[in-house]
Amino acid sequence: MKLQCVSLWLLGTILMLCSVDNHGLRRCLISTDMDHIEESFQEIKRAIQAKDTFPNVTILSTLETLQIIKPLDVCCVTKNLLAFYVDRVFKDHQEPNPKILRKISSIANSFLYMQKTLRQCQEQRQCHCRQEATNVTRVIHDNYDQLEVHSAAVKSLGELDIFLAWIAKNHEVMSSA
Amino acid sequence: MQTFTMVLEEIWTSLFMWFFYALIPCLLTDEVAILPAPQNLSVLSTNMKHLLMWSPVTVPGETVYYSVEYQGEYESLYTSHIWIPSSWCSLTEGPECDVTDDITATVPYNLRVRATVGSQTSAWSILKHPFNRNSTILTPPGMEITKDGFHLVIELEDLGPQFEFLVAYWRREPGAEEHVKMVRSGGIPVHLETMEPGAAYCVKAQTFVKAIGRYSTFSQTECVEVQGEAIPLVLALFAFVGFMLILVVVPLFVWKMGRLLQYSCCPVVVLPDTLKITNSPQKLISCRREEVDACATAVMSPEELLRAWIS
Repeated sequence: MKLQCVSLWLLGTILMLCSVDNHGLRRCLISTDMDHIEESFQEIKRAIQAKDTFPNVTILSTLETLQIIKPLDVCCVTKNLLAFYVDRVFKDHQEPNPKILRKISSIANSFLYMQKTLRQCQEQRQCHCRQEATNVTRVIHDNYDQLEVHSAAVKSLGELDIFLAWIAKNHEVMSSA
Repeated sequence: MQTFTMVLEEIWTSLFMWFFYALIPCLLTDEVAILPAPQNLSVLSTNMKHLLMWSPVTVPGETVYYSVEYQGEYESLYTSHIWIPSSWCSLTEGPECDVTDDITATVPYNLRVRATVGSQTSAWSILKHPFNRNSTILTPPGMEITKDGFHLVIELEDLGPQFEFLVAYWRREPGAEEHVKMVRSGGIPVHLETMEPGAAYCVKAQTFVKAIGRYSTFSQTECVEVQGEAIPLVLALFAFVGFMLILVVVPLFVWKMGRLLQYSCCPVVVLPDTLKITNSPQKLISCRREEVDACATAVMSPEELLRAWIS
């Protein structure tokens, strides 16, 4: 009788822990308002990409060529790229046109919110950074540093669609990672 | 020595007077020309529609215009000197501004307003506590429940693309299971369930805003009932009677049509009365093969008739 109770209690505890873990996993979902961010970008895409003075160079090339980043690395790469945009790209770009400025502001603030969401995952130790993920982001930073800062910022802004498409493709992976 | 002191005093007095006269316009300006900044800024946010409001600035005989600027958390952290003009409220007349199109991320936003009259502008007045759209008040959705025959149909209020709906419905009987359906957008009729006659069904709904991860409270429960077996029985009776009629009428019709066709295309040949053989003596035409051209008409008696028949 006692053995049965203990085993039932153990099972219950395990189930409870699993459900808590699952709830935490769902928090990593960055499916919040992706449509709105993509819409905002589509409205300014042509204007931004027209300002790109180095069309033959890409900064986010590693995302395209590395078609499959392993599920374990998706959270870390996303976190690093969000920081890349928030800490470097948006700050280095000075936009004089108020209409474009509004859209960039919208995207920047949405990225800030996504960073907060990811940080919650990190606190629960669900966003490990392995060497492969760190290498990917280092290459992107190196590409950025090779260009003059304003040109690099404009080019990175123009490549937002690559980043957004990558997030959309991988966020399902992230939700189960 | 005295002259020097006197000169100094004069210079000092002149300076003082000059300074005083120079100050007068400034004092006057302070009292009359400066426009007060709008006060009591607040945001009223319901169902993701955000309205910035303030106390109006009144200048007798003049129309006062207001300008609104905002700054997301990103700007306040990284580019604090940058304020973005509101999409709809650069020089607006009313003491309110719909900033829904400006507040596009779930982060705290700073908002500021200033008044303009002619060439004068007031100082900026900033919202005391930054506004985050996740504090919006979510109301239960309006819903319309209809019966389309036996189909339970719901139409929800259209609240825009950011709203999804959770609809719960169940059969009103003890121990009934509650079903839940996710409806992506309002304004379109959605089929919930095919109802069984004689049962009552109840429905309630709530909204969900993915951008802020929040649900509203459930709406009031609405119940509908489907009529019992009376109607189906009447229908069944009519159907049976109709079927029986068809069973009788169709063969009759087919038979009648058959007879008609028979008469019209293949009529039965009826011998006219004049050709019928009766007991009374009658005319007979007798023709023998040898006598082709001579056909005699003769009246015979029954015995001669018989003899002619036998031969």
